Amino acid sequence: MNHHPHPRPIGGPLLDRGMVTLLALFGIAEGVIIWRFVAGLGAVSNMNDGYAWGIWEPVNVVVFTGIGAGAYSVGLLCYLLNRGEYHPLVRPSVLVGAIAYSLGGASIMVALGRPWNMYWLAMPPMWNLSSVLLEVAICVMGYVCVLWIEMLPAALDRAATSRHPRWSAFGRRWGQRLARAMPYIIALAMLLPTMHQSSLGGLMIVAGPKLHPLWHTTLLPLLALVSCLAMGLGTVVVLTAMMKQSWNARHDHELLVDMCRVNGGLLVLFAGLRVADLMAAGKLDFLAVPDFYLIVFVLEMALFLLPAFVFLTGRVENSRARFVAALSAVTAGALWRVDAFLTCYNAGESFSYWPSWGEISFTVGMAAIGVAVFIAITRLLPVVVVHDTPVPASIAAFVLSAKPEEAAGRSGALTAH
Amino acid sequence: MALTISRRALFGVAVAATAAALPSRAEARPRVVAEPDAVGLLYDSTRCIGCGGCVAACKESNGVPWDGEPTELDCTTRNVVKTRNLRQPSAAGASTAFVKRQCMHCVDPSCVSACMLGALHKQGNSKRVPGEPKGTGIVVWDPDLCLGCRYCEIACAFSIPKFEWLAANPRIVKCELCRHRADPTHDGPLSVANPACAEVCPAEAVVFGRRADLLAEAWRRISAEPGRYEPRVYGESDGGGTQSLYLAAAGVSFQDLGLPDMPSESPASLSESVSHAPYLHGLTPIALYAGAAAIIRRNRRRAEDESAHHGEDSK
Ligand code: SF4
Ligand code: SF4
Ligand code: SF4
Repeated sequence: MNHHPHPRPIGGPLLDRGMVTLLALFGIAEGVIIWRFVAGLGAVSNMNDGYAWGIWEPVNVVVFTGIGAGAYSVGLLCYLLNRGEYHPLVRPSVLVGAIAYSLGGASIMVALGRPWNMYWLAMPPMWNLSSVLLEVAICVMGYVCVLWIEMLPAALDRAATSRHPRWSAFGRRWGQRLARAMPYIIALAMLLPTMHQSSLGGLMIVAGPKLHPLWHTTLLPLLALVSCLAMGLGTVVVLTAMMKQSWNARHDHELLVDMCRVNGGLLVLFAGLRVADLMAAGKLDFLAVPDFYLIVFVLEMALFLLPAFVFLTGRVENSRARFVAALSAVTAGALWRVDAFLTCYNAGESFSYWPSWGEISFTVGMAAIGVAVFIAITRLLPVVVVHDTPVPASIAAFVLSAKPEEAAGRSGALTAH
Repeated sequence: MALTISRRALFGVAVAATAAALPSRAEARPRVVAEPDAVGLLYDSTRCIGCGGCVAACKESNGVPWDGEPTELDCTTRNVVKTRNLRQPSAAGASTAFVKRQCMHCVDPSCVSACMLGALHKQGNSKRVPGEPKGTGIVVWDPDLCLGCRYCEIACAFSIPKFEWLAANPRIVKCELCRHRADPTHDGPLSVANPACAEVCPAEAVVFGRRADLLAEAWRRISAEPGRYEPRVYGESDGGGTQSLYLAAAGVSFQDLGLPDMPSESPASLSESVSHAPYLHGLTPIALYAGAAAIIRRNRRRAEDESAHHGEDSK
């Protein structure tokens, strides 16, 4: 017997208006990719020798994987801290993670200047073990595989309910086999993000004098780790509210409140670590200089601490406040990441950078295809736990209409037990 | 109830975080020192007349057509001479100074630390190209191992590596100390490299040689004319030391010449000790994995037992 309510395919049309819009956005990104391989990176981007990663690494890799870290943080709660009640959130989070990490990986391939040399990566003797980026690359590639393996049970469950006896036997047999191996796969799914999320932060340590002292710290790996946990939990809250709104997905109020409390602690931990580190390194003087960096720093801190305030007080019970706060937690982590990789990185007086339309449309297109894949998979496979009468509405239309507060308010009214 | 467990969760996170942070500074990587026969350049800003001869010679010797005096390094310019405005006039009253910029051939280079497969490496350390001369310390680039990730551009504090932004098969371009002009008929430094920039300089502002000899020469110049020079050789220990060394006129700060202010610990050493120390040579990941797997299995078995019980109860 299983106490957990079972996830179900959402069903519904695969190609509705929202989906077409998303695919169109991705189509533009495809164009950018093709032109990039013909004419070079400089032809589609404003990247230059000073800002060599433009927005693609900071956003498509560092921020996307932070958003995808819900798979990691919910997994930690559910499996390591043995909070079985989190189980219904695992599959949607893992799917977001699998998609976000795949997009990050794909974006790197597009951003690499000489991707045809990548086959060398398959030869461990050639690895430069000192390279922080190598560690990120290997670890992320492994983790993408692990995440999709974690999604396999959804596909096998679907096969098991198939009307074709062979499919259903196949689904049941392999579903059971995979279930036995799962603890070992989940353990990898806990280890790998711990490693590469901290390494992602560690990437910028070597940049030394080029990164502003308020961001350059030996604590970068730890901060990146804590921020990904907070971003991940925030994403899951936002996602749950959206799915509730669009698909009448199950929405466990107590659980979300509990998760937000954990997140509140993480956000405070992040802010505390940062301030303590600045104090320990004697960098508080930089906070006395009224410049651009101070504004960015204060904005970051506000985005971290405001949701913490909501999460750790009674306001967390209000689903509108909770939604906005969760969004702020994601934005906080994203902003800190972009700042550490781009905004507060200074390549020198002779360089400046602002993303080109090509770069922006690539980033937007990648995000769009991510949303599209999420919708398609949840429509086809049992990922989301829904109430008995699903409301057919498209999450894409919801995303595009972009009225989250209103939606959160409505979902709040519905969740009161 | 919910709150207590959240606190426990937080506590767990905090413990894990501290555990990850603690060893990070404890296990610093040993300091890399220059090899005895490492070669490099000595650039003397006080002698430079800004003629740009070295810039033209650099392009020519690297097979790049001349397309006008460059102002910055780029994918066709491995060497540039800039006229810098000084925030503080020099002791001699000059308000500008020349500076030549090219790869510093760092003793412990950030770019080498960053590069995933060792495309950028110290000559002789390649795992792909056997038989490179050893001990020169020249930082060279191997097109076959480069993925074009440009982490070297992010990592290099001197912003030296350049990328061919408009090429379908882009290269990383930087000074490789004219190792292709090495003359095996000579002994000593010329047998491994022969920088065109040093060869053409009419003022002995650019000198090529063993780093140790260049350092001695730099200090000899400083002590021979103490009023002329800033009493410091940039690159002796800055950023962990570099093989391209700089002399500035008295009263001129190296930062005014555009050279970054760096501690004597190299960024590579800082980065590697922070990033690798928590791994304890691979022990930590293995322990974490084993621990996680054990906990997950135990939790699952408990959940199964529990649901079995429920099953019996309901019968
Ligand atoms: S100056 Fe930059 S490119 Fe040259 S060796 Fe040092 S880190 Fe590498
Ligand atoms: S761009 Fe090439 S040389 Fe530079 S770090 Fe990446 S792989 Fe190495
Ligand atoms: S050593 Fe050769 S490549 Fe380097 S700056 Fe001098 S001339 Fe140019």
